[in-house]
Amino acid sequence: MTGLLFNLATVAYAVGVLSSGVFFIYRKKPFFDAALVAICAGFGLHTGFLIARGIATGQCPLIDLRDSLAFFAWTVSLCFFISYFRYRVQALGLFLLPWVALLMLGTFLVRSSPIPQALRSSWMYFHVLCLALAYGMFFVTFVAGLLYLFQERELKSRKPRTFYYRLPSLDLLDDLFYKFLIAGFGFMTLGLMAGMIWAEQKWIDWHTDAKVIAALLTWCIYLVLIYLRMSVGWRGRRAAFINVAGFVSVIFTLVSASFLGGLHKF
Amino acid sequence: MKLVLVGLNHRTAPVEVRERLNFTENRLPEALSALRQDFGCEEALILSTCNRVEVVAHPEDGCLRTDRIKQFLYDFHNLQPPCLEPYLYSLTDRETVRHVFRVASSLDSMVIGESQILGQMKRAYAAASGAGSSGVFINSLMHRAFHVAKRVRTETRISSSAVSVSYVAVELAKKILGELSNRSILIIGAGKMSELAARNLVKFGISHVFVTNRTAARAEEMAERFNGTAVPFEDLLSNLVPVDIAIVSTGADSYVLRKPEMQRVIRERRYRPLFLIDISVPRNVDPAINDLEEIFLYDIDDMQAVIQANIEERHKEAQSAEAIIAEELEAYAHRAATRQAGSLISALRGRVEQICLTELERNRNVMTPDEYERTERMLRTTAHRLAHPFIQHLKNPDGNLSRYEHEVELIKKMFRIEEKE
Repeated sequence: MTGLLFNLATVAYAVGVLSSGVFFIYRKKPFFDAALVAICAGFGLHTGFLIARGIATGQCPLIDLRDSLAFFAWTVSLCFFISYFRYRVQALGLFLLPWVALLMLGTFLVRSSPIPQALRSSWMYFHVLCLALAYGMFFVTFVAGLLYLFQERELKSRKPRTFYYRLPSLDLLDDLFYKFLIAGFGFMTLGLMAGMIWAEQKWIDWHTDAKVIAALLTWCIYLVLIYLRMSVGWRGRRAAFINVAGFVSVIFTLVSASFLGGLHKF
Repeated sequence: MKLVLVGLNHRTAPVEVRERLNFTENRLPEALSALRQDFGCEEALILSTCNRVEVVAHPEDGCLRTDRIKQFLYDFHNLQPPCLEPYLYSLTDRETVRHVFRVASSLDSMVIGESQILGQMKRAYAAASGAGSSGVFINSLMHRAFHVAKRVRTETRISSSAVSVSYVAVELAKKILGELSNRSILIIGAGKMSELAARNLVKFGISHVFVTNRTAARAEEMAERFNGTAVPFEDLLSNLVPVDIAIVSTGADSYVLRKPEMQRVIRERRYRPLFLIDISVPRNVDPAINDLEEIFLYDIDDMQAVIQANIEERHKEAQSAEAIIAEELEAYAHRAATRQAGSLISALRGRVEQICLTELERNRNVMTPDEYERTERMLRTTAHRLAHPFIQHLKNPDGNLSRYEHEVELIKKMFRIEEKE
């Protein structure tokens, strides 16, 4: 049952990505509607999967790495809906949803065992929830920054081509970038703090764990990005490099435990 | 359908010819009644704009003769035939409908996607209605054309991109700054050109206008017209800090804005994007400024390039518009054909009944009156049943139009029905 829901959700997302792509090229409204329907269906099935998994295991469905990846994919998808309904950027789906589909497929690749009963606590769930939301928002930040760069290049070249006609204004993309950056950073801070409290409670030595170090590095990168924006006003291409670095760092943090080992191997 | 069209447009005729054929609004009623009384048109409409003169008509005898309409054009404008011959085109039926649909949708315009033509067509139609020269044919054609134009406008992006310099400025400003309300502009050089460009931006929501000029008095004057603020020319650079858009047109023969000083301005602006429009010739802004990350500098030529790209974009959209028109044309022709089939249906009914009853008449003297009456009832029902499938088919055609027309001909031939119209 859960497997079927999961596979159907993955297929629906893939269909959504494909029709977003067709829409991006031909700009025929029906393709976009189809994409939106497919993504909504994917999101519904995905939510159904999480609930079914929760019922099957009898607890919050966040007990192994595979679970957290699936949940993380769900938050990226959720962030897509939040940003789409707030900003109506039609191109967002095409650049954001491939990541959702990849994460869904990624769950087939990771090996993980469930977290020991002794370590489970509400701090843990809060920790995973906040970080998944934070990373989901950083994905939107990354995509918004990327689209800003595309649109900026086109406006700078003074020869409008593909992106000029398909992307919204720089101002809107910047707003999207900034809001998701701040919100993501807030959630990440909360998530890290919850993780530390949890670890302290369970007498775990977390300071040398690979994933913790990677996450702290990510946090620092985003802190620098926010600092530069607030103090001197960096945006667009100036901020792009740090944005990309932050995103790579997020991806690295996500998969680091799989090959570096450490506390986060479940 | 029985519609003809004779006319010329900006592609077939030079302006000297077009203006000779122009119908002024106050002479339209006279022209329309002449068409009806002297040139054999039952219905007529004249569309006369600076880019085209076209007469659409429904001839009274159903004969699609275009030479009479040409004659009307020569007579009305006192021209000697055949001087217009190389410029005129004449279309019939289906081609007329397609042409009218394309014109209304602005696919036949000089700048495709422009919006004026629809208003002009509506006025032409109002004039025809007012002069009593529009009837079933013109009415249904024009209503459908307006519907098609609306579809094209809403379902394609044929008129969504800007094709004039002042609108391109607005379009670019929106691409850079998003909503223009709460944005401000600095006009550098209080000239006619810059005022014109700023006027349009203000129309789209720019909330505050600053003006600066070498002679302060002229800046004051223009600022007053915009309800804005005049600022001293000496503080040009610091005045660039709070604004989002700057229009430069000073008439100076050297650069008023240079790269090194603009670098400072950017830092002071905290890297907010600045849209810099240089409409002066020779240019007043150092082109190297565009290398600066946060400044989007456009001169007149750059804006022309955007217009060019937008026109190409409109041409791409025109393909979807043509598809809509093809679809609508098919539907229109279908409806027209089914309307025509109405007369065929009654003829068919009569013909089948006639065949049956002729046989009855021949045998009248071998029947009793009672038998005759019963047989007649029976035969009438039979006739009705026989004709029924054909009638049903004529009323609800399922295939494409040409097959339907073919079937209509076939039924006529099989039942030996001569159409009288």
